Amino acid sequence: MLVRPGRAGLADLLARGAVRPGDQLGGGVLADADRFPVLPVLRDLLPGGTLRRGSVVALGSWSSLCLALAAGPVAAGAWCAVAGVPEFGVAAAAEAGLDLAKLLLVPGLGQNWPQVVASLFDGCDLVLLRPPDRPSALVRRKLEAAVRRYGAVLLVAGDWDGAHVKLRITTSGWAGIGSGHGRLCGRWAQVVADGRGEWARPRARWLWLPGPDGAVAAVADEALAASGVTAETGTGWEAGTG
Amino acid sequence: MTAAGDRNRRVLVVRCPAWRSPIADRAAAPQLFEQVVGVVREFCPRIEVLRPGICAFAVHGPARYYGGEAELARNLAEAVTRLGFDCGVGIADGMFAALLASRDGLAGGCRMVPSGASPAFLAPRSVTVLGEPELADLLIRLGIRTLGEFASLPTAEVRNRFGASGLLAHRLARGLDPRPLAASPPTADLSVQAEFDPPAEQSEQVAFVAKSLAGQLHAQLAASGLGCVRVQVQVICADGQEITRLWRHDGLLSELAVAERVRWQLDGWRTGQHADHLAEGGEGGSGGEGGSGGEAGGVILLRLIPDQLVHDPGRQLGLWGDAVVSDRVARAAVRVQAMLGHGAVRQPVLTGGRSPADQALLVPFGDMSVSLRPADRPWPGKIPSPAPATVYPTPKPAMVTDCSGALVTVTGRGHVSADPARLSVAGGPPLAVTAWTGPWPVTERWWDPAHACRKARFQLVTVDGGAWLAVVHDGCWLIEASYD
Repeated sequence: MLVRPGRAGLADLLARGAVRPGDQLGGGVLADADRFPVLPVLRDLLPGGTLRRGSVVALGSWSSLCLALAAGPVAAGAWCAVAGVPEFGVAAAAEAGLDLAKLLLVPGLGQNWPQVVASLFDGCDLVLLRPPDRPSALVRRKLEAAVRRYGAVLLVAGDWDGAHVKLRITTSGWAGIGSGHGRLCGRWAQVVADGRGEWARPRARWLWLPGPDGAVAAVADEALAASGVTAETGTGWEAGTG
Repeated sequence: MTAAGDRNRRVLVVRCPAWRSPIADRAAAPQLFEQVVGVVREFCPRIEVLRPGICAFAVHGPARYYGGEAELARNLAEAVTRLGFDCGVGIADGMFAALLASRDGLAGGCRMVPSGASPAFLAPRSVTVLGEPELADLLIRLGIRTLGEFASLPTAEVRNRFGASGLLAHRLARGLDPRPLAASPPTADLSVQAEFDPPAEQSEQVAFVAKSLAGQLHAQLAASGLGCVRVQVQVICADGQEITRLWRHDGLLSELAVAERVRWQLDGWRTGQHADHLAEGGEGGSGGEGGSGGEAGGVILLRLIPDQLVHDPGRQLGLWGDAVVSDRVARAAVRVQAMLGHGAVRQPVLTGGRSPADQALLVPFGDMSVSLRPADRPWPGKIPSPAPATVYPTPKPAMVTDCSGALVTVTGRGHVSADPARLSVAGGPPLAVTAWTGPWPVTERWWDPAHACRKARFQLVTVDGGAWLAVVHDGCWLIEASYD
């Protein structure tokens, strides 16, 4: 990756997919990197600042966090399958930076869903799955083995025992909307990451999820966000509770 | 040109405008067209389906049987109209002129271009009808606006200036067939086939095999430097029934496209059979296939026969990757389609619209994505960014009440009866509304009574941190989407 201090701008563009290294053009398969880049604002939440191939990330529930996390790898050339989410918001995905031409949607997974998901790993580097039911330990082990075998990443919009990293939104509130005026402009959210091994100690970041243009962004003034209730009075922000 | 040569070039085209627009449920459309094909086939057994909505056959034999081309066209148009489909019939020398004639025929039943008059028929038309936007654009800028002007250019100059595709267009403009047909029959039998033992019950299973068969067929054709204009798909069932159809594609067929057509053919035939079964006593049926004696017992043989062979001029791929679906992804998608059905794997496309659900079109993998509503138009009244991450395929019923527990209503002039205080989604427990905005009234398609609707949208934030896009329509509240 072309990350040099003097070329931070280019690195940023690379991460957003505005430009791509030549070896990633065209094909759906990345070069032999064993890690997928993520959007810069999410780097602090993941071990090594990337998504490691063969890992499972649990995201608690279906939300724009799932879209934001998938945006980085897709921009880098990975294909993403979205399985078991019939209510997938296409416009939100596009705003979050996902390249729609690299998405496969499988809204209904049917009875034999683990097999369908395993088949998706054959073609897609990234599978965003909302399991139709709580998977048994056996099913989980099988899918984890498939993830490792294909060198893919499984993002679970739900709970997954034994996930390498777990991300969840603990506190959030909507900005820009009042009582009968304004509109939803963005949501500030505290995202907490924990997981196994080195990531056992939780860490948290404040993010705009989504921001005013639908993309994920860092909350500039963390102190302001942390005390969202005080901000509410001053700037017209309305605080929800978490 | 001899009279006999002209007679053999006479082509009749039946065009049904119902299939021109890619309606929301595109998967069903080709199957319905099967009914039209069944009717047309009673006039001529050997017909060619160009694409769903358009089929054609050589007019010479049937015209003699029906006592003239006009008689044939009239009978045919009547028969298709009786099915309940609008149609246009055109007869001309060569496929291109006949296609244009059928477009004229839409207005008044049928349009016939006399033998030898095709160049004159084509001459006043704009070069844009050639279906080559780039070439047409160039020609217009060169001052060549009609097909007649284009046709009057010397062939050699056209070849020099516009290349192989320009030459094709030039032949069309002169009223000739686009390519000279392969004069000699192929030396070897290029057809490919697969047997199913035990018989295949699912059309997905057959379509899956068809894809690899098509690959095999293409490899054989490529080895002999040929391409096929049409492919004949022959399916034989366990009880001896045979379903044969010619499919045409513009130029070269891709493997997926062949598999898709096999599936359409099977599905369409099955539904047709089913319908025959139900309407046994109905009007003289469209059962071209003969006695629909219950179950056909599965498919035992699939054969693909290349029909019109032409020399393959080759194709040049774009230098910089157009979003090419890699083989690996296509394989996985097709495998899942084989498990769950063709419509189970979709690719999203952004289209124009106001509500989040209108802004997306989910196209089954392998189908062409054709959007009727361009996304780059202003769409006043569109829900502003950020877009909701959850868009319910069918909106959820909801109740929005005020402090006193009465349902909140919106008047025709956009006045809200009271501030929303509680929201209950799909019969769930009521949640306190902490913030709200609206109403955003929308009056859509007021010029079209069948699709006109008046709605008012609200954004609601509830005490649990959820944000919702709600809509009031005819006094009922629905949740269209939620911001997660």
